[in-house]
Amino acid sequence: MPNRPIRDKIKPMEQRAPTLRKVAWLWFAISVAVLVVGFRQAIFLVPTDAAQGDVGRIFYYHVPIAMWSLLFPYLNFAASLAYLYWRKRNPLRALSADAFALASAEVAVVYTSITLITGSIWGRAAWGIWWAWDARLTSLLLLWLLYVSYLMLRRFSSTGQTQTLAAVLSVFAAVDVPIVYMSIRWWRTQHPAPVFFGGPDAGMDPSMLPAFFWNIAGWGLWGIFILLFRFALERRRQIADQEAALQAIEASLEIPR
Amino acid sequence: MKPFLQYTGHVLNHLRKDLRLEWRSRDAINGMLFFALLVVVVFGLAFDPAGYPTTTRQISGGILWVALLFASITALNQSWARELRNQVLEAQRMAPSPASALFLGKAIANMSFVLVVEAVLAPIFIVFFNLHALGDIWLLAVILPLGTWALVVNGTFFAALGLRARNRELLLPLLLLPISLPALLAMVQATTGVLTGDLDPIQINTWIKQLIGYDIIFTTICILFFETILNAE
Amino acid sequence: MTWHSFFDMSTMENRHLLAAYATVLVIQVGYLARVAWQWHHTKNPRR
Repeated sequence: MPNRPIRDKIKPMEQRAPTLRKVAWLWFAISVAVLVVGFRQAIFLVPTDAAQGDVGRIFYYHVPIAMWSLLFPYLNFAASLAYLYWRKRNPLRALSADAFALASAEVAVVYTSITLITGSIWGRAAWGIWWAWDARLTSLLLLWLLYVSYLMLRRFSSTGQTQTLAAVLSVFAAVDVPIVYMSIRWWRTQHPAPVFFGGPDAGMDPSMLPAFFWNIAGWGLWGIFILLFRFALERRRQIADQEAALQAIEASLEIPR
Repeated sequence: MKPFLQYTGHVLNHLRKDLRLEWRSRDAINGMLFFALLVVVVFGLAFDPAGYPTTTRQISGGILWVALLFASITALNQSWARELRNQVLEAQRMAPSPASALFLGKAIANMSFVLVVEAVLAPIFIVFFNLHALGDIWLLAVILPLGTWALVVNGTFFAALGLRARNRELLLPLLLLPISLPALLAMVQATTGVLTGDLDPIQINTWIKQLIGYDIIFTTICILFFETILNAE
Repeated sequence: MTWHSFFDMSTMENRHLLAAYATVLVIQVGYLARVAWQWHHTKNPRR
């Protein structure tokens, strides 16, 4: 019996949809549950920080979200490269890749925005200033700017071109990210400035770890959920557009009797 | 060797075309010059160079590059406009020369326009801001072209990117500025370092090396991807 | 901390703590709500 290719063994979407829906709801429920545990750990169980007081609890939301916010740009980059590769070879797959690129860029902006805003709120309360142009914050701000500009391009470009142009911009942005990081770090080595959250190795007490890990897990699960949900939405739109286009073509081909 | 010479020939042809077209109307250069002058005047009024000479020297690098940045954006925006008239762009796509040659020719042409503006602007800038560089002034002859190329190469690329977008003029700065920020940081720091004499030569050299690295990386990427965006449909 | 002290708005630090957590909630739930709304307003192509 010859081996069928994997493609033939995957069930079509019509059959998969109900299972996927159940999985999605389950994932959502688990994410929320983990986040609730994380909240409880961060607010009620962790002892108050000696140096900062209760304001330090912002750490348990700010840092995990900041860490996850660094993942989504890479996903966007990978999806954009996939799009460019499949653009001429397998247009349908390329379309999927583009949907994923858009979803990951949006989630990247969401997570980065939260990081910047909560960081600023925390900074004001703990260190007295709303913002510091230090290496970490400035690099993050530039990352935010890059992916917002990606979303702007998607909004402003003419349809038909959007996907290719956005994919190319994504490559530019991805190449720029390490350059941004290195140049700003060099700048701050030359001109030291007040650093938020005290230096790179501000240690973590063992009592902080449970809350930290629960929130990392929670925000990671949530991030994946929201990313895939947005991806599914984009796919739905793409398919709806394709069907509308197909109907328009078929309508124009109808031969009157 | 022959393909390389052919390629260079194509680039030179495109370059000649753009230079000639610009020479006939001199729109871009005049516009840029006047715009940059106005920006310098605005900053002069805002920051009172005579009253605060030390501060002025510290911010003058930033002011110079901001003025050049805004001036270049005005020119870059309309540098592709001439390709849209009379379906020239379609003709370019069908031409046998590689698309990247078109890009390079136009980028080099834009570069020369901005360099002309810089050459005219620099003495005016020195006069208005009462500047005398405390560091090695010949370094500026290295920093200015490197920095300008960083802005122009990405600017020409993104101007082409936004060619059929609605709000085309708005899109260029929105895309160009975030990507250029590391280069801007390097060029401003290097220029200020030279003008104030605050930085060691080693530190200025590091900024210059970063600019060179940035220029090489992004020129390569622009050349590689230009064909893709030209034929984006 | 307790629920009572968490919602205590008297000190600046506590207000900021509350504001930070509220920000996270508002942005994440807001984004989810937007995606969900758009999901329900996009025709299901498979029906």
